[in-house]
Amino acid sequence: MTVIASAEGSKPPVAFVRRRQSVAAIIAEVWDARDLVMQFVLRDITIRYTQAVMGFAWALLMPLLIVGAGMMFKVVVATLSNTPLEGSSIASLAAKALPWAFFAGALSTATQSIIGNANLIGKVYFPRESLPLATVIAQSPDLVVGLVMLTIILPFIGVSLTWAALWVIVVLILLVTFTVGCALLLSCANLFYRDVKYIVQVVLNFGVFATPVFFEPQMLGRKGAAIMLDLPLSPFVQAMDMAMVRGHNLLETVAVATRNGPIVVWAPWMLGYAAGSALLLLIVGMLVFRSGSSRFAEMA
Amino acid sequence: MTPSLVFDGVWKRFRRGRIHDSLRDLVPATFRRLVGREPKTDVERRYFWAIRDLSFEVKPGDVLGIIGGNGAGKSTTLKILNRIMEPTAGVVETSGTIGALIEVSAGFHQDLTGRQNVYLQGAIMGMRKAEVQRKFDEIVEFSGIADFIDTPVKRYSSGMNARLGFSIAAHLEPDILIIDEVLAVGDAAFQTKAFGRIKEMATAGAPVVLVSHQLDRITELCTKAILLDHGAVRMSGAPMECINEYLHGVTADATSGAANTGIRFDRIFAPNGSAVYSGENLTVIIEGSADLANPSSTWSPAVRIVDLRTGTHVHSVTGLQRKVPLPVQGDFKYRLTFQMNVAPGAYDVDAHIWDSVLHNQPVPGIRLRVEVLERMPFYGATQLNSQWEVQKAAVPDISPTKNAGREIA
Repeated sequence: MTVIASAEGSKPPVAFVRRRQSVAAIIAEVWDARDLVMQFVLRDITIRYTQAVMGFAWALLMPLLIVGAGMMFKVVVATLSNTPLEGSSIASLAAKALPWAFFAGALSTATQSIIGNANLIGKVYFPRESLPLATVIAQSPDLVVGLVMLTIILPFIGVSLTWAALWVIVVLILLVTFTVGCALLLSCANLFYRDVKYIVQVVLNFGVFATPVFFEPQMLGRKGAAIMLDLPLSPFVQAMDMAMVRGHNLLETVAVATRNGPIVVWAPWMLGYAAGSALLLLIVGMLVFRSGSSRFAEMA
Repeated sequence: MTPSLVFDGVWKRFRRGRIHDSLRDLVPATFRRLVGREPKTDVERRYFWAIRDLSFEVKPGDVLGIIGGNGAGKSTTLKILNRIMEPTAGVVETSGTIGALIEVSAGFHQDLTGRQNVYLQGAIMGMRKAEVQRKFDEIVEFSGIADFIDTPVKRYSSGMNARLGFSIAAHLEPDILIIDEVLAVGDAAFQTKAFGRIKEMATAGAPVVLVSHQLDRITELCTKAILLDHGAVRMSGAPMECINEYLHGVTADATSGAANTGIRFDRIFAPNGSAVYSGENLTVIIEGSADLANPSSTWSPAVRIVDLRTGTHVHSVTGLQRKVPLPVQGDFKYRLTFQMNVAPGAYDVDAHIWDSVLHNQPVPGIRLRVEVLERMPFYGATQLNSQWEVQKAAVPDISPTKNAGREIA
């Protein structure tokens, strides 16, 4: 069979194809590619720890730096307000710095994850979600090492763990979900608009002050605390503090007595808020990422 | 489920010119558009079609070759096939997993060892970890760099890099196989080995799509072919036919000028048969008629012989060189004899008029397919008809019961 056709013979189409994929289909595809995700994670971790002179101690460095910065901040505040610095406030600082460091570290690497693998994107097909997902997972050893260290140190600074600390597991799952959602959105956005990474860096640098990491919400007064708790990352850091250091069940409201009367620093709705925002962000992230990923190869 | 691959009316559009790829550019551009200061460019000018209405089907056992010049749409087709890009319109149906032998060491990370990279690259190409583990030894052995497998890839030579990359890809077991210009990697020995492996994979029965500029690979491997031209299918059919069309496709200019040039080729044939043994003579007769009012002094009859395996012109000769005049009036008939000192294979004898100043063919030519046969196993590019003369040699005593070689004392 031989067919000769002319190039001018056919008219360009009017209707274009648009494929939509369900969240379930995306999850199934990424799950099928789990070996690939693990290979990317392994690559990221191996490179991070073999290149660093200190090796695995690197995992401790970032959280330690953030705790150190927070300590300086606390010392300044304590000196100015003439209140003594307690051991437990250092412990809660560390408990809150760890999830923050995870979030910030994961996002700053994830934002670059698609661009950084442009050569792969243009040549081989694999579920693109694996790249930002892997960078988030690759950040977790730091978090785990930090948490283990903190658990060991806590008794020495006068804080004893209670059963409420098990809430940490729930909080971490939500935090990872939230972070993956952000990572999907930002890695995709950074491919289409190359300056997104600068914005992310600035937001991450200053975002630490829009989250009660270095300070307690009650320091801002009743209104300030209420606003602070509404900010997206607050439930996660507050929950870590409450569950791990202060031993509160997260299903109960926690209020702190101050000169201006009791101020709420944790309420059960925040758990729902955290879960809701994490899930919403993940789903929106997946759908946006998928609809953008058909153009990745053209942009990368 | 039988794996198969269907392209049905596929179109792919690309944007021409700049795309706003930073917010810094996007914000002012959007603003300008909103206040209407941005001139609206014509949609047809801003976009171009890289693929136009492409349809084909590849079934198990089929090896489809895609040929065409640069920018014909071969790579875009492969990228759509490979799911790297989505078509703008049309349907691509695939059943089964797709594996691609395509610039094979793309996923390597320079700081990881060869071993680590095998696992990484294998996963990127769609292999499960267990599968890589199972094939690991085979992959390393095929690449021939077992001694360096625990060395970081950044210390590899580019050849070692390519060899390892190819070896991984060569151990994929996809339902549908896509092969792009990776056929030449490493040194000559490895290339032969790699091509052998590709042949093995391509003929294993899975649907295969192959893109290559090495036309002899297409003729050797493919069962059918399509010829792309500016994104559209110019021809589809047997690989030979498509290559032929690709190599000497009649251009529109030559055809349109045919009516008033006054020379017509009617017939070309080989009176003694169009199949000859390598090194023997081929006779060709060319017939036609001419009616030239004022003949151009730069025109002359010409014949060119093209190797269909490689697409190279193995020989060109013009009447000018042979002192043969241009036919001017009435019927003409030429008889040419060639000593076919070429490798066995298929050749085209292409008779035409050649303009030695403009370097083109003012008149459509005429073509004859000939076959050069091998009388004994042939290796190499040309037939040099070597003459041997024994001047001195200890000739073994050949007895019928023993092998000759062993008898040399």
